[in-house]
Amino acid sequence: MTDWIATFKRGLSIENPLTILMIGLCATLAVSTKFEGAFFMGLAVIFVLTMSSMIISALRRVIPEQVRIPIFIVVIASFVTIVDLTMHAFLPPVYNFLGVWIPLIVVNCVILGRAEAFAYHNSVSLAVADGLGMGTGYSFVIIVLATFREFVGSGEIVFMNQRIVALPPSYQGPGIVLLFPGAFIIFGFMIAGARWVTERQGRRVVETSKHCTIEEGRAL
Amino acid sequence: MIDMLRNLALLFIGAALVNNILLTRFIGLCPFFGVSSAMETSVGMAGAVVFVMTLASSATWVFWNVLLEPLGVGDFLYIPAFILVIAALVQFVEMYLRKAMPGLYRAMGIYLPLITTNCAVLAAATEAVKPGFFKMNIAYGFGFGEAVVYTLGVAVGFGFALISFAALRERLDVAPVPKIMRGAPMAFVTAGLLSLGYVGLSGMFGI
Repeated sequence: MTDWIATFKRGLSIENPLTILMIGLCATLAVSTKFEGAFFMGLAVIFVLTMSSMIISALRRVIPEQVRIPIFIVVIASFVTIVDLTMHAFLPPVYNFLGVWIPLIVVNCVILGRAEAFAYHNSVSLAVADGLGMGTGYSFVIIVLATFREFVGSGEIVFMNQRIVALPPSYQGPGIVLLFPGAFIIFGFMIAGARWVTERQGRRVVETSKHCTIEEGRAL
Repeated sequence: MIDMLRNLALLFIGAALVNNILLTRFIGLCPFFGVSSAMETSVGMAGAVVFVMTLASSATWVFWNVLLEPLGVGDFLYIPAFILVIAALVQFVEMYLRKAMPGLYRAMGIYLPLITTNCAVLAAATEAVKPGFFKMNIAYGFGFGEAVVYTLGVAVGFGFALISFAALRERLDVAPVPKIMRGAPMAFVTAGLLSLGYVGLSGMFGI
């Protein structure tokens, strides 16, 4: 049980996929203009990551080493298709907002990276812990980024057609926060902030130069 | 004829500059930050992306129009089908290049496997058969020629942004950056400023 909790917590802090490992950035920056979109994107990633980790870990003795990458991709693509069709049916506005980013979860480095680095070598319960932890860490960062951008940029936070927080209507947000350049710049400062916190706590800083596609490329 | 050429030229410019896939759509950021620390690797990566992306989109376009669409299974099978087509294609291209063109293989060989997991390739392939995901103004049902020109535009835009960003980062290595911002955070801020330039292009040429 302590193992389980330690694995779960790692995704939240010292191995956070976004701020520390810096993988799976594309979708993060693109969908973080709205709190609602970021929330459901986070849920989708948690679901796909946990389920695919579970299946891959359960089948790890059956999957031959040479063809593991195509098999991982097929497993992940099946769960992404489930998310794609479910969202299309039940949450059409969110589906339209997320658009191409739902199919692109298949090639999101976080998921393939965790399948390759963790789920393929560990037991089912640990793989589920890792999937949940990494997914939660991912969602946390993306939701913080989206909350900041929506609140500062448009002065209100809308969730399922309900206004949660709103500034007076005379507030005029800086438009750049909602535009593409704003995402890069704010995320740059977020990484700097996360690094500052990590260094202050005296934990080991994971070097960010290595990125997932290179590891996967070697594996292929 | 002139009209068609004009459309194709607009499609190319729109895909390469105005809707630049890296800096205005955030697709393919992993290699963008991963390989851009050196000029040499960025040039190799850019060449490999132009090559593979054009080939992959042509393959998936044919696959979609010959198999998936007539059978009526396109809407729910396109994700696994496309990613498998792309992965298989990259493997074949790698094997063929190693045998037939060793020089070219040495130049771009190591980047080929990395491209399988590059979201830009899947995104361009999806956009070529199901236009509208990127919310471009000139999205319509692409014919084969348009799909190829569009993908070529996307790939050239990708390579151009990657190489210019690599040049900026080489200069950034010698710049006096505060300690906490050194490395990745500063790279993001630089990418933001570069992206600002691309946003300025929107609305040009009526696209």
